[in-house]
Amino acid sequence: MSNRLRALKTVLWGLVGVLVSVSVVRFVHGLGAVTNLSDAAPWGLWIGFDVMSGVALAAGGFVLAGIVYIFGLERYRPFVRAAILTALLGYAAVAVGLIYDLGLPWRIWHPMVNWQYHSVLFEVAACVMLYLTVLTLEFLPVVLEHRFFQGAFFRKVLKALKKVTIPLVIAGIVLSTLHQSSLGSLFLITPFRLHPLWYSPIIYVLFFISAVGLGLMTVVLESLFSNYFLDHKLHGREISGLGLAASVVLWVYVALRVGDLLVRGVLPSALDGSWQSGLFVAELAFSAVIPAVLMLLKPIRQSIAGVGVAASMVVLGMIWHRLDVSIVAFARPEGMGYLPSWEEFAVSFGIVAGGILVFLFFVENLNVFDDVRGHPPEEDPGFQAEATVSFLPGPLGFPRRYSVAALSGGILALPFLPVGGVQPTPSPVQGPRSVAAYVSPASNGETRGLALVGSGDLLPIRVLMLDANRDGDVVLFDHDDHAARLGGEQSCETCHHLTKPLDKNTSCFECHTDMYEPRSVFDHDVHAAQLGGSEGCVQCHGEGSEVKSYETVTECSECHRNEISTRAFINPPEARWGNAVGYMDAMHSLCVECHTREALTAPAHNPENLNQCMTCHDVDWREDVRRLMPHLAGMERVTAGPRPAAAQLGAGG
Amino acid sequence: MSVAILIDVTKCVGCEECVLACKEENDLGPDRLRPGQQAVDGLSATRYSTILRYPDDHFVRQQCRHCLEPACVSACLVGAMRKTPEGPVVYDSDLCMGCRYCLVACPYGIPRYEWDEAAPLVRKCTLCSHRIEEGRVPACVEACPEDALLFGDRAALLSEARRRIAENPGSYLDHVYGEKEVGGTSVLYLSDISLGFLGWAENLGEGGLPHLTHAALKKVPGIVLGMGSLMGGIYWVINRRMKLAARSAEGGQGHE
Repeated sequence: MSNRLRALKTVLWGLVGVLVSVSVVRFVHGLGAVTNLSDAAPWGLWIGFDVMSGVALAAGGFVLAGIVYIFGLERYRPFVRAAILTALLGYAAVAVGLIYDLGLPWRIWHPMVNWQYHSVLFEVAACVMLYLTVLTLEFLPVVLEHRFFQGAFFRKVLKALKKVTIPLVIAGIVLSTLHQSSLGSLFLITPFRLHPLWYSPIIYVLFFISAVGLGLMTVVLESLFSNYFLDHKLHGREISGLGLAASVVLWVYVALRVGDLLVRGVLPSALDGSWQSGLFVAELAFSAVIPAVLMLLKPIRQSIAGVGVAASMVVLGMIWHRLDVSIVAFARPEGMGYLPSWEEFAVSFGIVAGGILVFLFFVENLNVFDDVRGHPPEEDPGFQAEATVSFLPGPLGFPRRYSVAALSGGILALPFLPVGGVQPTPSPVQGPRSVAAYVSPASNGETRGLALVGSGDLLPIRVLMLDANRDGDVVLFDHDDHAARLGGEQSCETCHHLTKPLDKNTSCFECHTDMYEPRSVFDHDVHAAQLGGSEGCVQCHGEGSEVKSYETVTECSECHRNEISTRAFINPPEARWGNAVGYMDAMHSLCVECHTREALTAPAHNPENLNQCMTCHDVDWREDVRRLMPHLAGMERVTAGPRPAAAQLGAGG
Repeated sequence: MSVAILIDVTKCVGCEECVLACKEENDLGPDRLRPGQQAVDGLSATRYSTILRYPDDHFVRQQCRHCLEPACVSACLVGAMRKTPEGPVVYDSDLCMGCRYCLVACPYGIPRYEWDEAAPLVRKCTLCSHRIEEGRVPACVEACPEDALLFGDRAALLSEARRRIAENPGSYLDHVYGEKEVGGTSVLYLSDISLGFLGWAENLGEGGLPHLTHAALKKVPGIVLGMGSLMGGIYWVINRRMKLAARSAEGGQGHE
């Protein structure tokens, strides 16, 4: 075994080790922990590279099988088995990549039992499954040739498989045609998201043609690599033949791509100087035009370096094209870009590395490059000295290096991984915003009411809508009024003084201890005194090392569970029991309920009729009731649609 | 009967009672976003609807349109998205495998994903189909204090919209958003400002999106038959010629 190969395998095993570490975090904590995917970019590198490009790179399998078995060009036979193996591993890599990308990968079999003919993705899934089967059957004879399978049964299977070679090859070509094109068809339904330079009603034709050209060049590149790493024989004449064929296919692709733009009238936008136009020109030149020109020139076509450069350009260029379609040219809202996280790259590269290792394992143990048909593998010197997958120390001590590489890869990745998962933070979906509101003087003349709905001759003022405690309830906040009452510009520091860790401004409840605000009912000083001053902090702020804030505090219901009435006049939703119930909820379900009960025994100390709305809601009660109405299910205020059933009070929220 | 919601943008005061009612009805809990994650349009897996704010006190509700020809339904490969005969486009979490093609396909960019879950699901407005089955109206419609949301038969709402435009031609654009867009939707908008910003494109066209896919998918049987017989035919011709050549060469080796 050459040093090159040993070095390559060491690197590959290291990548596989990283993959294993990332996989654990991915499957334990979900997609959000390791990817940069978002609602704006639901598909990322794993679809764009592993699936889109993986399938395209596997195209060599059906192209070569067609050339040799259908068109009878026997001189390309040495490439067939390797091409089919590459395709098989490529598709297996796609399936593995999907397991990472799917949110619920254990349901990957669902399409098999729940056919949806109208979905392109169903066609894709069906093709992947069927073609994976076909490829396995196409490659199985190579495995069965191994001396391990000498039994009569395996001989029979081998014979039967060889008989159906041609039907299998034809099935493989049909399935590939469908599958390569359907990956393009996936984007037919996104005419508004995909940039017009990439979106096309014939995008599936473009995907298919480019896959054929790419498949030819993949085979070329693969035999160059196996020459470099495995000292395998080079078939110069055939390689330049494949290069020429690729050139023809690429010209067809370029003509179709440009012609399609011309017909749709989008061609001018390819040269308008936008970044998309630059990207388009560069991508088309790199992936198709330049390599196609190079392969037309005989001296370049016949030099290893020339073919290698052209083939690399096509392979990288077509991956580039697939990434453009599925990621780069896929429109997102402003400022919502997508860059894959390092974990996404690690998974993609790890899967590829694993695929190459399996490829090498097969090459070393099976007669994959059948230069001479019937040539038994053990007579092949060179690649037998060392196993690819052995973890046990061999006589030379070399194989252990791979387990060390894999282990250190996995361990090196750990410090960079969110092993504990990523904690989502409660955050306002919308920050404070300015709205128009109406001021209504309250009856006692002291405080003012703010309402979004005004009447008569009132003029609206600008106020802020705040969701200070991030529970979805908002309050109206008149900033100017606050500033004026607190003493003008000199008073900013009253609220905007950073006095506590993580404080951005003083919370409303610091002043408004009695207003309708979910935390107002909680008096911190009383609790501190009851629990023994500074000694008692940890009673509620359990983790001493954490910032003592609203977010980290123990829920009130931990201690006050029994005080929450379960049969209240109006029940607060359980979600609000969390960190201090609001004034309204407290009044309705804590105070009202208990005081009503106690009023029976000690009427002198308890207010009368507390369980009747008007007792409290008498000040401007019409407005109060109007605000409550949406929460009282069944009130007659729906103007269209079926009338709700009988009114039922008490189902607040 | 196919139900729909008519949203009169000119009547909305932006109080977000509908948003709160939606969150409570669907038991969505507080909004949680992971670090670095932003909410597009304010929608998230814990918020099926939101109020977008535009200049001069224009408040525009963003929510699932429940398209008549839904792209998400046509995209779903396991049938987890379904258009019910009553109108709502509903999601069956037991079928979903998490491919997120519905997020990609939606022309309004509505469906959201639970990125932080180990077993994530797609979340979006259901038009309160469970309430509709009970004969009740969607929670948001019930919550609206300004009657900016109307619920009812789609045809009736369309004529109501036309009536409002005819009665107050100055207060509305002469267009019912959702009447024809992408084949028509079950959420209709009356507005005095252009609502082109609500979709992926200013003008989403009048045709449904599923037919774009259908144009390619209907060719599949032809490709199977055509490609299959073409390859079979080529093989037969070439194989026969090679055999003839081998026979005439006398003693040439046979071809497998």
